[in-house]
Amino acid sequence: MLPAPVGGPVPERHVGAEAALSGGLTSLLGAAGLALGLSVIFGDPRHLRIGWLLPLVGVSFDLDPLGGVFVAATGAVSVAVGVYSVGYAKRGRWARLPMVTLPLFVAGLLLVPAAGSVTTFLLSWELMAATSLVLVLSEHRRDAVRSAGAFYAVMTQLGFVAILLALVILAAAGGGDTFATIAAHAPGLTSGTRTTVFLLTLVGFGSKAGLLPLHAWLPKAHPEAPSPVSALMSAAMVNMGIYGIIRIDLQLLGPGPHWWGLTLMIFGALSAVFGVLQASVATDLKQLLAYSTTENMGLVTLALGAAALLSSSGAPAVAAIAMTAALLHLLSHAAFKSLGFLAAGSVLSATGLRDLDKLGGLARRMPATTVLFGIAALGASGLPLGAGFASEWLLFQSLIHSPHDSNTVLALAMPLSVGAVALTTGLGIAAMVKAFGVGFLARPRTAAAGAAREAPASMLAGMSLAAAACTVFAVAPVLLGPTLRHVLGELPTLGGSAEGPALGTILRLPGVAGSISPGLLAAALVIAILLAVGIARWSTRHRPPATETALWACGADALGPRMQYTATSFAEPLQRVFDDILRPDTDVEITHFAESQYLVEKVTYRTRLDDPVEQRFYTPVVRAVRMWAQLVRRAHNGSIHLYLTYGALWMLIVLLVAK
Amino acid sequence: MSWLAKIRRVGRMVEPAGEAPEVTVAPPTGVTGSLQLRHVDSGSCNGCELEIAGAFSPVYDAERFGARLVASPRHADAVLATGVVTHNMRQPLLNTLNAVPEPRLVIAVGDCACNGGVFTKGYGVVGPVGDVIPVDVHVPGCPPTPPQIIAALRTVTGR
Repeated sequence: MLPAPVGGPVPERHVGAEAALSGGLTSLLGAAGLALGLSVIFGDPRHLRIGWLLPLVGVSFDLDPLGGVFVAATGAVSVAVGVYSVGYAKRGRWARLPMVTLPLFVAGLLLVPAAGSVTTFLLSWELMAATSLVLVLSEHRRDAVRSAGAFYAVMTQLGFVAILLALVILAAAGGGDTFATIAAHAPGLTSGTRTTVFLLTLVGFGSKAGLLPLHAWLPKAHPEAPSPVSALMSAAMVNMGIYGIIRIDLQLLGPGPHWWGLTLMIFGALSAVFGVLQASVATDLKQLLAYSTTENMGLVTLALGAAALLSSSGAPAVAAIAMTAALLHLLSHAAFKSLGFLAAGSVLSATGLRDLDKLGGLARRMPATTVLFGIAALGASGLPLGAGFASEWLLFQSLIHSPHDSNTVLALAMPLSVGAVALTTGLGIAAMVKAFGVGFLARPRTAAAGAAREAPASMLAGMSLAAAACTVFAVAPVLLGPTLRHVLGELPTLGGSAEGPALGTILRLPGVAGSISPGLLAAALVIAILLAVGIARWSTRHRPPATETALWACGADALGPRMQYTATSFAEPLQRVFDDILRPDTDVEITHFAESQYLVEKVTYRTRLDDPVEQRFYTPVVRAVRMWAQLVRRAHNGSIHLYLTYGALWMLIVLLVAK
Repeated sequence: MSWLAKIRRVGRMVEPAGEAPEVTVAPPTGVTGSLQLRHVDSGSCNGCELEIAGAFSPVYDAERFGARLVASPRHADAVLATGVVTHNMRQPLLNTLNAVPEPRLVIAVGDCACNGGVFTKGYGVVGPVGDVIPVDVHVPGCPPTPPQIIAALRTVTGR
């Protein structure tokens, strides 16, 4: 569906100028964030305290290299998204509200990693959540957008309640509001407090990062939001969940017991496998990318858990490799996922279609977008020449090189994780090949796809910035070596005490045997391809010239574009193999002729793939809440006197408890 | 009975190969013993088809000599044409030949394909295959027996 003009026909409204202002402000904020983040990583940490902004506690910001890398990543993504949204907002004729809210959303995203106290963190978190909700509801005239927005609002607020509880408990037990005070008191916390805070933050931050089982909002909200917003959400907002886990659980609360790392690994592996499975059978392009976000966040969490588990098992060198893999995968995911969503937005604004089964043939009509999406798809699949290759290699190395003479938990968890990551990578390649091949190659399957035209210059410029970042990750991850080393130094309990992997032209792993060079590998592949093409051309130089004839259609009339592979047919073998997990809803309806039951007039086949986690786990919870609400309703009979009595009674109870 | 015992009882039933005839037509691929054939029936009575099926059966086994039937003209080196060319099948026969990559051959099997046979003056008939596309090898007979078909194929494959 084309983004509908939401604001209504406003006379004399200069959409182009407004879009340029909004996009320019977003880019400026992003550039400022990038500069600030880099200055903190390579320089000194920065502090800022504004006592008068909030009563009682004031607002305090504490930016250290860990927060700095998240601020820098968000800033870089925002620069590309800002440039892109200049053209996208103009084409989609956005209303004023989304245009104003976009820079505010970026501001919220930049403030969260910089927060230095519990109150500031929660306030920045809510700013980020509220502005993202407004942006998701940009096209609120459509039913799907409204229901997705409601779902997203409820899950975001439930996650916020969990984070609120956890941080309030932490602040009360830690004796102060600022993170520095809590860090000082952290060794004295009881094990019960630490477990409670860990579990609550896992629920809250895990939901924001899109981990199972609280991921269901991701594939609903990301496709319905406008594409620049989807890019920001997938490439910058889900990182905040990971930031929360690293900051609160792994840094502030200090080194945890074995089961913390194991829990992170389990949820990470489950999210990765489930997310990529759903992505491989998805036919909506943006939903495919959203499930891929779940998969990649699962991999990052798996790496975090591995780092924690290895560190608490006494293998800091390997833990350093796992932590580097986690951070590098987070950053490269930001690069290729933002590029993927921006390219999907370019396709959506040119054709009005998100359904892969209706696209096709875009390589001739939108060549630049095709190449850019190809770079994103290559990055998402984790193959050499792709942005995700170095981080996936580091993750595999850390899982394989775990020490042999350690506890049974480690000995069991590592091989299973290797299996999970291998399955994830394989299915991820299938999903990306499907998205690129069915969506962009061959012939257009509908007239709308055939009428596509290339995106305007500002959208291409935004996408090219993201593609440049992907290329850097693919061939020269050496440029990120110093950054990762500085951040790793901030995390002594996660392998920061050991020397991390050396990200030179050749990645070397100190302490274990393993090295690879993505840059040389990419160069070798390019040279091999050029050689093969050259030899083929030279050996066929005496062939007769090519003639043009019709496509062979087995003797019938010309082939129609609807006879090509669709995304559904491409994924059908996978759907059959994983039928028990995916549980597709299939319906076959046969209509007979009125005159005879033996003759069939029409056969209708319908298949629907819902999220099985949502159907299995959310529906009973919602039903239980509804039953409870019906019960509590009995206490609401409309009498003011009764309500005043309730108020007085509860006030009495609170006073007694607080005493 | 067990399959080993059955093999022992049946023995070898394929016809003996005989002398290789002279190669009269150069194989299109330039190698001997490899000829991919796409069969097109442009209006036959199916008698020649039955004989061709017999030629590729285990009794006569044409594949020993390198000939092979393929499904797509894109995979073929030669077109195996049977039957007289009717009006309806004239354009499909031309389309099929155009879909075969060069260098290519045409082998006309049966009297109808070579010179019209019994259907020469029919109202629905254009003519023999040679009137529509150039023919390189003729296999006369109504229908030609499988050994005759195989002998003609061996003049192309060289085995």
